[in-house]
Amino acid sequence: MQNSEPKFGGMDRRTFLKVLAASGVTATAGAAFMLPGTNLMVMPNSKGYLVVDMAKCMGCVSCMMACSMVHHGESSLSLSRIQIQQDAFQKFPDDIHMAVCHQCEDAPCVNACPVEADHVDIVHGNIRTIDPDRCIGCTQCIDACPWLPKRLQFNPKTRKVQKCDLCANTPYLDEKGGPGGTQTCVKVCPVGAISYVEKMPKQHDPYAYNVNLRDKSWVEVGHTDKDFKLNEGKV
Amino acid sequence: MSDITNRGYAGKILHLKLSTLEYEVIPTEKYVEWGGGNGMGTALYWDFCEDKTIQDGRDEKNVVVIATSPLCGTATPSAGGRCEIVGTACGLYPESFFSRSNIGGRLSSMMKYAGWDAIVISGKAPKPVWVEIQNSLVRYHSAEALWGKDAHETQLRLFGILDRKNEGWGWQPLPGKGAGDSGYTTQIPAIAAISQAGERLQTMAGILHDAGNISGQGGFGAVWGSKNLKAISVLGTGAVKAADPAALIRARFKVKERYAPDVQKPDLLAWSFLSYPKPIAFAGDYDQSRRSACVGCVMGCRQRFSTGVGNQVKCQASAWYLAYIKKYAKKHPEEIDLNNEKQIVEISNYAADLCNRYALNTYLFQHALPWLEGLWHRGLLGKGKQVPSELDFDKLGSKAFVKEFCEAFAFRKDIGALFGDGFVHGVIKLGLEEDYKNGTLDFPYWGIQEHGYDPRAEVEWGYASILTDRDVNSHEFNQLYWNISIYTLMGLKPRISAEKLVHLIAEKLKPYVDGPECMDFSEENIYSDAVLNLTRWYIHYNRFWKNSALFCDLRWANLFHSRGDDAGNEGATGDPEVGEQVYWNAVTGENISIVDGLKRGYRVIVLQNAIWALQGRHRDKVHFADFIYEKPFEKGEFPFYMWTVRDKEGKWRYGDIMHRKLDREKFEDFKTRYYLAEGLDPKTGWPTEETLKKLKLDFAIDELKEHGKLPESNAS
Ligand code: SF4
Ligand code: SF4
Ligand code: SF4
Repeated sequence: MQNSEPKFGGMDRRTFLKVLAASGVTATAGAAFMLPGTNLMVMPNSKGYLVVDMAKCMGCVSCMMACSMVHHGESSLSLSRIQIQQDAFQKFPDDIHMAVCHQCEDAPCVNACPVEADHVDIVHGNIRTIDPDRCIGCTQCIDACPWLPKRLQFNPKTRKVQKCDLCANTPYLDEKGGPGGTQTCVKVCPVGAISYVEKMPKQHDPYAYNVNLRDKSWVEVGHTDKDFKLNEGKV
Repeated sequence: MSDITNRGYAGKILHLKLSTLEYEVIPTEKYVEWGGGNGMGTALYWDFCEDKTIQDGRDEKNVVVIATSPLCGTATPSAGGRCEIVGTACGLYPESFFSRSNIGGRLSSMMKYAGWDAIVISGKAPKPVWVEIQNSLVRYHSAEALWGKDAHETQLRLFGILDRKNEGWGWQPLPGKGAGDSGYTTQIPAIAAISQAGERLQTMAGILHDAGNISGQGGFGAVWGSKNLKAISVLGTGAVKAADPAALIRARFKVKERYAPDVQKPDLLAWSFLSYPKPIAFAGDYDQSRRSACVGCVMGCRQRFSTGVGNQVKCQASAWYLAYIKKYAKKHPEEIDLNNEKQIVEISNYAADLCNRYALNTYLFQHALPWLEGLWHRGLLGKGKQVPSELDFDKLGSKAFVKEFCEAFAFRKDIGALFGDGFVHGVIKLGLEEDYKNGTLDFPYWGIQEHGYDPRAEVEWGYASILTDRDVNSHEFNQLYWNISIYTLMGLKPRISAEKLVHLIAEKLKPYVDGPECMDFSEENIYSDAVLNLTRWYIHYNRFWKNSALFCDLRWANLFHSRGDDAGNEGATGDPEVGEQVYWNAVTGENISIVDGLKRGYRVIVLQNAIWALQGRHRDKVHFADFIYEKPFEKGEFPFYMWTVRDKEGKWRYGDIMHRKLDREKFEDFKTRYYLAEGLDPKTGWPTEETLKKLKLDFAIDELKEHGKLPESNAS
């Protein structure tokens, strides 16, 4: 399917394929390269990221149902690439936890995939995504993701893994998705608790993807705009 | 017609046969014609309740149905998370009928994801049980250890037993621990539970789900208690498929753009609840909180607090005890600081939270408590008095009092024991019937407390309540009362002129009405055919779109609209891009109009009339309490009751419709015309054979005939 020859000295075939897999494009392969003298791949950064406000979300799970709907044509919390967890008996703000894929800088899930199904999609703004045709359902990517809950989902029907693609591959969305396009969860959220940003949040900071999206208007409807340090759930 | 599981339905209904602790799986196919919710529940009740003559829901022969709709578990705006409960109620007066109740939260969506459109509950378990549902796995468990626990603790214990606490926030396999294959979830189960009140068959006991979603009316908590059913826990990993997923998402985006509240520019004086941007909290603001929403809502109406106390309370429940707290604070400033809003909200939340824990219907207390307080002052209540009680009403308004008060009802002791089989029943037994008749006790219909919208003023609410089975609790017209009254109170210029508003609404009610006369609520017009047809629209909408399709009462119907600087626009109801039918069609693949849905609602209400006929209802019983005809309405939330009226010159304006009573004879005549319009026999109120046939309800004919409840001749 694609050129199997490495483009850069020192880059092994497997790492190289992680970049190219599923894209079928070889011309832009220069977007990823090996650090000279090492066996480490440098992945091009994703062009977009989701950040969330765990103190703003109201737990309607509209984002989850819509995420699943635009990708699969069906509404399922288990197939949603964003996970909102809540327990109505807990105290605010610990009653809600939001989990989005970080589109990590050096994505452990991409690195872990033995068959290059989990790859960097250079056609779609370098999102970290999974080619279902290649995925063998080994779930090594799930194990590798450093967050709890894991930001990848195992689909028991297809026996494949999936993850947030920033809505790049959404057969049931009228609009163009992916970086630069619509993110369904962002657009559907009634309160603006999810935001799409282009600047990469600080990696290795367990709080960097949980931001404060509340402002004066939020105070006007009766709630607080205070900053909270809410745990991302690192493994 | 394509496989129903490709168009919104899970495809299966679960029948829990409690007497034998068995269950059966019923294909949903046969019930799809009813839509879901109230309609589907009524049809299931008809099929599974063998003796429909029962007049108390706590009878072992009663059947309770929990029903979802195709929209549950989808992103349909404010319709993804409601859940309908039907069956014969208890505690109504003079006797109890088949009735309904509705709760929000995560229950109905979880049922769908687990693969169930409805749950039919029949019989009585030999011992207390709770039911575990994980996808297709259904298990009965002993509830001996849960018996005696409140509805919060019951759920928390079950989270523990099911090992699905939120610690760790990980993915869990289903079913069971580590069993692998059928799916994974990060969610905790959705549980519905009863408290000690339900166990004690207390007729004001509800069923609670999560911290604050309660089925308040109908006493269904006592119905579960009578069946030895403590709780049902549901967890599912499946999906709801839509016929046209892209159309659903398109409409959801559009409703946000055009109608839902804009959080960046919150319009606190929006006309229409669909656009209302704040939680519905009457006790005040408590900023260390988040809003909390039912599944799929466009703007949650509840909250969760940093104290965790009062989580998910809203609306009347958030403030049922508030006035007493304030009164008490005035006398006891050392205990409660009247100027400390936070403290006041905390105590108010505490009172609301108690009612949630005990799953008690706070609405009942709204009018029962002032009456009880009145008895205390009249010297009729207290130790050794006509109404014997240990409660110290001098402490009314304190935390200690509300605890004792709620416990009395939850544990059916003290005054809670006197009213345990129905409030009005208790009142009569105590020799205080006069209070019920003259309105000292404000219970105008079916022995149920008034909702805040007195039938003498807001007639559509009253008519629909007495012509059905309960306080109708349906706010589509009532929104305008709030909007106009608040504007009047604040001295603001109305955002929508009366003239424009009546036309906007009349347009939505076509073809039931043919002009804005239906919105003239002046005394001369409230018995007119125009108001009658508005009432019919209202009941039919309620029966299908609201309680079968399960659009939330607080957001739908949306008959008029203003957001931000809009002068007032068409509401979302029936709109070709964002109306109820757009979502219905996108999910189910049908192509129905808003009016087609109303016709389905009509069919549902006629079948319910058949059930009521079997239960002994006759038109003679369909009347308000005496005071509604005998005393003018003088005391409401505000010193006036604003509505649209037309003056003698035919000009529309906003006017006060308080200070009047209903006319018994004119209402009787209204009823006759209502029955005729609905195809019910005007002499009895029972469905006629002709109507049953026309609506393809032939299956009901024999049973009605057998019980002598088929009117002799067709409607004259
Ligand atoms: S799935 Fe996990 S490891 Fe992979 S990019 Fe997302 S957050 Fe990073
Ligand atoms: S961006 Fe798209 S794929 Fe990612 S979580 Fe949101 S809706 Fe799902
Ligand atoms: S749509 Fe928004 S408010 Fe609703 S659950 Fe998702 S992030 Fe939270």
